This record gives sequence, C-alpha cells and structure tokens, in this order.
Amino acid sequence: MSEATLERGMNAFREQMNAPVASFFSSCVNCGMCAEACLFYTETGDPKYTPIHKLEPLRRVWEQEYTLWGRLKSMLGLSEPVTNELLEEWETLIYDGCTLCGRCSMVCPVGNDISYMIRRAREGFVAAGYAPEGIKGASRRAVTIGSPMGVKFPALAAQIKHVEADTGLTIPVDVEGADYMALLSSMEIMNFPEYLEALAKIFKQAGVTWTISSEAFEATNSGIQIGSSDIARELVNRVVVAAEKLKVKYVISPECGHAYTAIRWEGPNLIGRPYEFKVVHILELLDELRSAGRLKTEGTEDDRLTFHDPCQIVRKGGVLEPPRNLLKMIATNFVDMNDSREMNWCCGGGGGVSANERAEELRLKTFKRKKTQLDELNVDTLVTACANCRLIIEEGLEEYRMEMPVVGLTEMIAEHLVEDEK
Amino acid sequence: MADDRKKLSMTLGESLRQQGVSRRGFLKYCAATASMMALPPNMVPAVAQALEKARRPSVIWLSFQECTGCTESLTRSHSPSVENLIFDHISLDYHHTLQVASGDAAEAAREAAMHENEGKYIVVVDGSIPLANPGYSAIAGISNLQMLEETVAGAAAVVAVGSCAAFGGLPHANPNPTGAVSVGEIIKDKPVVNVSGCPPIPTVITGVLAHFLTFGSLPELDALGRPMVFFGQSIHDRCYRRPFYDKGLFAETFDDEGARKGWCLFRLGCKGPMTYNACATAKWNQGTSWPVESGHGCLGCSEPDFWDAGGFYNALSIPDSDLTRKTGYVVGAGVALGAAAGALNRSTRAKAAAKHETVTIDDLDKKS
Repeated sequence: MSEATLERGMNAFREQMNAPVASFFSSCVNCGMCAEACLFYTETGDPKYTPIHKLEPLRRVWEQEYTLWGRLKSMLGLSEPVTNELLEEWETLIYDGCTLCGRCSMVCPVGNDISYMIRRAREGFVAAGYAPEGIKGASRRAVTIGSPMGVKFPALAAQIKHVEADTGLTIPVDVEGADYMALLSSMEIMNFPEYLEALAKIFKQAGVTWTISSEAFEATNSGIQIGSSDIARELVNRVVVAAEKLKVKYVISPECGHAYTAIRWEGPNLIGRPYEFKVVHILELLDELRSAGRLKTEGTEDDRLTFHDPCQIVRKGGVLEPPRNLLKMIATNFVDMNDSREMNWCCGGGGGVSANERAEELRLKTFKRKKTQLDELNVDTLVTACANCRLIIEEGLEEYRMEMPVVGLTEMIAEHLVEDEK
Repeated sequence: MADDRKKLSMTLGESLRQQGVSRRGFLKYCAATASMMALPPNMVPAVAQALEKARRPSVIWLSFQECTGCTESLTRSHSPSVENLIFDHISLDYHHTLQVASGDAAEAAREAAMHENEGKYIVVVDGSIPLANPGYSAIAGISNLQMLEETVAGAAAVVAVGSCAAFGGLPHANPNPTGAVSVGEIIKDKPVVNVSGCPPIPTVITGVLAHFLTFGSLPELDALGRPMVFFGQSIHDRCYRRPFYDKGLFAETFDDEGARKGWCLFRLGCKGPMTYNACATAKWNQGTSWPVESGHGCLGCSEPDFWDAGGFYNALSIPDSDLTRKTGYVVGAGVALGAAAGALNRSTRAKAAAKHETVTIDDLDKKS
C-alpha cells in the first residue's frame, strides 16, 4: 500500500504548473482586492483568508522552480522551501477556508482565476497527505460504495418505490435509448426525495423520455472536492460508461453545484475525450421545456421569496437567467438579493467544506454573510437549486434562529404543474 | 564739419525725420523692436519716447581675428531700412572697414572718442583675440589684446558681436593655432553682451543697441551672456517645420520627397534642437527666408564650439547603426530566451507528470 508523501505532493504541484497558473502568478500585483470578495475574509476579518494568500505553497513552487530569480534565490538559499509544516498550516486555509466559489476570480483586476488555482493546489495537498478527514472519508465512500454518503442502489430503489407509490408514476430505471439520464446527489436521495418526485411529474407532463442508471446514479464527485484528478476521473468515468451504455442523448445534472462542474466542465478533460452525450443542468432543461411550451403551471406562490444562486451553477456554470425565468412562471413576489447572479455570495459549504466536520464553526461564522443578505430583503421563502446549499442554509438559519423554508426550485415548479387528466 | 557737429547734437528722432523717416515709420520700428524684445505692447510709447530723445552714443567697433562677415551682415542685409538708419545715428567713431580715416588718423579718432565719452561709450568687438603670439593679429602695431584692454577700460559696456568674439568661433576651433579666446575670457570687470552667430542676425545687433538707448541698460542675459529676448528659445521650438518632427516625418536626403514636401531636416543634421537664436522668427534678408526655410538644416552657429560639434550633416541623436535590425536581434533574443525558459519549465512539468503516481483512496493518509 502506497502512502502520501511530501515528495508526491511537490511532484503534484510541479505537474499543475501550466501556462495559466504560471501567468496568473506572474501577473498578480498583490492588490488584495480578492480579500474583499471572499466571505471567509469579510466575515472573519482575518487577512490569512485573502484568496491569493491561500496559494502560498503553490506560489513558492512556481517561484523557486519556474522563474529565473526564484531559481537563483533558492540556489543561494534565500528562499523558504515548501515543508510538511507549511502544508499542514495551509491545509486549513485551502480546504476549510475556501469553498471554490470563484467570487475572487470575478474581481481580480488582472483576470487571475484564483479558484482555478486553488482547485489545482489541492492536487498537491492531497498527494502530500494534507486533506481533511471528512473529505477523505467521503472520497473513500464514493469510490468503494458509490456515494460519499454511503448510499447504495437498494436505498435509491426504496425511495423510488415510495415515490411511485405516492404518485402512481413509474420511475424508469436502466431504460436503454431514453433521451435523458438523470443523476441524483445522495443528499437528494436521503434528504430531499421531493426532487425525484418532481422529476417524475414534470417529465410525465412534458413527455420527456428518461431513465436512471442503477450503475451510476450518483452525481456528486468527491474527487473534485478533495482535489484529486485521479479520483475524480474514476468517478466521472462511471457516469460516462453508464450513459454511453444506455445510449442516452443527454445527462441531467441535478440540483447540486459541484456535480455540475464535475460532469459538465471537468469531466471531458479528466477522461481526455468528448462525451457521446450532452450534459444539461436540470434548470437549463426546465427553462428549455418552458420556452417550448411543454411546461404548464397553474397557481402562484404569493410569498415574498428570493433565489440563492449556487456558485457552481450560476457563477461558474453560467446558468443565470433560467432560474429567474422559471420563478416568473409561478412567483408573484420574487426579489433578487443584492449581489445576485454571478456576484452572489456562497452559502459557505461548497467545495467540500460541508463534508469537513472540522470546518463547521468557521462555516457557521461565514453564514453571517448570507444572513445579512436575507435580512436586507425580509423574505418569507428562499428558493435554491443545489441540495448542498439547501442543507447548509437550513443549518445556518437554525444556528441564527431564523424561520424560513428553503425550497428546491424543481420541486416548487412540480407543485404548480397543471394536473393532466390523461 | 559744422554740419557733422549739428548732426552729433541732434536727437535720434530729429535725425530720423531729417532723413525722411515718417513718424508712422518710426513708431512701426519701435513696435517691432518692442515685440522682438518681448516687451509688453504698452512699452511701445516708452520705447518711442526714449529713442526719440536719445542722444547718439559713441560706439567704437574693434575688429580682431574675424572675416568681416559680421559687418557685412549688419551693413548689407537690411539696406535701406529703419535699422540701418538707426545705425547711422549712433556715432560710429571707429570702425576699420567703414571709416574713411586710416593709419595714425584712425587711431587718433579712436583715442579722441574714448576721451570725449569716457565711461559712456560702447565697445563693439567682432573677432577673437590671439593669446599664443601677439604678432598673429595686430593693428597699427598694437596687439589685439592691448587694444581691447585699452579701449574697454573707459567703456560703459562691451558687445561681443559674432561667434568669434562671443565664444572664440572659427579661430578657436581645434587645434586653435593662434590661442584664440573670446572677449568674455579677457574682460571680467565690464558687462559683456554676447551677440553670437556666424554672422549674427542684424536685427539682433541693432536690437541690443536699441535696448541700451531706450533703457540705458543692457538686456537680460542667458547663461552664455546672450540677450534672453533673442536667444531664449531654440530654433527647433520656433521652427515652422516642427509639426513634421512631431509627426515623425523626416527628409532623409536633400532631394527626396520629404525634402520637397518640406519635412523636418533633423536626420540631415539640423542642429536646431540645441541652437538658441532668433532665425526662425526674425529671419534673414529683410525677413525673406532663413536656412531651414531654404532647405538646409541649422548649423548651430550661435552656440559655442559649433565648428567642432561633429559633422554638419550628422544628425544630433540618431542611433549610429540600424535600429530596426538591432531591435530585431533583441526581440529575437528575447523570444529565444522566453522559448528556452518555456521549454525548461515545460520539461520540469513533463518530468513531474512522468513521475505521477496515481492517487487512490488507499493513499490519502500519511504514515507517521
């Protein structure tokens, strides 16, 4: 059995030093604007959470091994090496203190994609053995059991049975040749089965042929969160194999942020080839059905409600308007938060932070940002489109004793579907 | 002789009118002089009044190692003009070239003027003074140095006309066989005004004298002892071809299209940028033209040691080699260095990728 070593970590850092990373480091002007964009800095006031500072170990490798002056300096013994102690100290910054939300990348005046670099820096940390226990556990479960929460297909089958009993609809499993293959996050299976029910209802009404794969139903990808491309590749590959085996045209990424990043953006790069199918986010699909007139709703939500933009779907995924188009169908009193869409603030639990028990105290502290946004609006209901955001926000609201239902957008749409007699 | 006396006692105004110069013509001259000396317009009446009343000062003109070009400039170029008439109405009591008297009589006239106007006369000098051997230049058996010192002793001021008198000029040029020096290097106890140029602009010579007549004092001088009003700005800054310089349009030869279109002569060796004089505004030959206007760069003749300041056709600061090619080499070297650094970094990365050991869930932990 092999083990994580500093040497492997250093090697991984070197591997990550591609042209974007090198040019980002050389163009950083140390202006510190990323600090103000990061909720870990704004809510703690601690400058160690300045996004670019979280990259210090990777920056040292770049300077000492990829620049002329840095090489000279390290030859003369003038630079500080990357050590186990350094990585241990930075582990809490790069895992506990970053949700990969990417807000810092939006404000960088020289255009550095800082969250892209953090994602790459994690490759070194995990290879050197400095990843939080919680995410390590999630990764092990994802690889061995098939889901970070340890959900196996029988558990899903049980939920399917429940939903079928409740709705009288059939949930197709392993149907070859369906147009769409739906993925689920284990959080949706265990905590929010309403999502599955909503899919069944909506697709029935819209006449979408779909299926779930018993071999790859899990959308989440712990490899992306822990920052190991090797693990992420293995997990993505399961979905690709299953989708191509069932010959579906589309794979639907569920209401889960990083799952979308994993399957839509990182996936083809990880497996090194284009997919034989397309990936859509459930909100994109619903908006498409809406504009094609295949989604009919009735009744309205008259509560004052707002939408929490999940970072990976909205900021990184570019799904900006679909949730708003959908909400307009059914909500009469919708308001946007200050800093919405691509500048929205993270719930505080993305990028593996929610799986990292050690980070809980810090995470609840950073939730003050979301609390402030909600307090400003004085809304009755919060709608979102990410099961992880939803859980984190529910915990945050509980911590700060705020009474507010948090609803998934898909299930809210499903509740307003026109009941079809046929 | 009696007529001459009368003429001597006349004021400038009377004298001018007697010569048939109208009041209007006179005022025009005063306005032109005032504007040339950068005086405010309300000073014109003051200039007129002062000139009107001025008594003709005694002027002694000494010529040493020179070519008489300065005198030619003064006497020929603007004839007949108001300036010329003004010059008529100083009392030019001694001037080798222009005086009728010769030999002892001439020297006697000089001594007479010195004694009669002790402390008030002006000495104009053209030509440099040889110090290596007094025999190189002597007049009536008197060495230039001796004559200068004698004559200047009782003078009110000294005007060094021409680059030879002002800075040593052509005789001073390397290797300076006569040990020529300027007036200013000898005269330290009297005000010396340098009216440099080879030759100087006639208007500038008369302008300095007019200033002395008007205000009874010498004009403000620059660091080289030249009147600021005429030498305050460079030829380049007042040149009508300056817009071409600013646009980067240069004549490359004297017969190319740029030369025909009147583009900047900088690359043909024009010394305008380092030369301070009034040519670009006062012009020559009654305002007809000036060197740059006639298609030739400025030689820089009003600056010290202009003769030794490199070739007349060498541009002031054009790189002495092919700039484009040099830039090409430097850019090429930069690209090569960059590519080498890039290749090195890429190989570092490739080596790391080759050493990559797949991360599995079994090796997430560190063994302690």
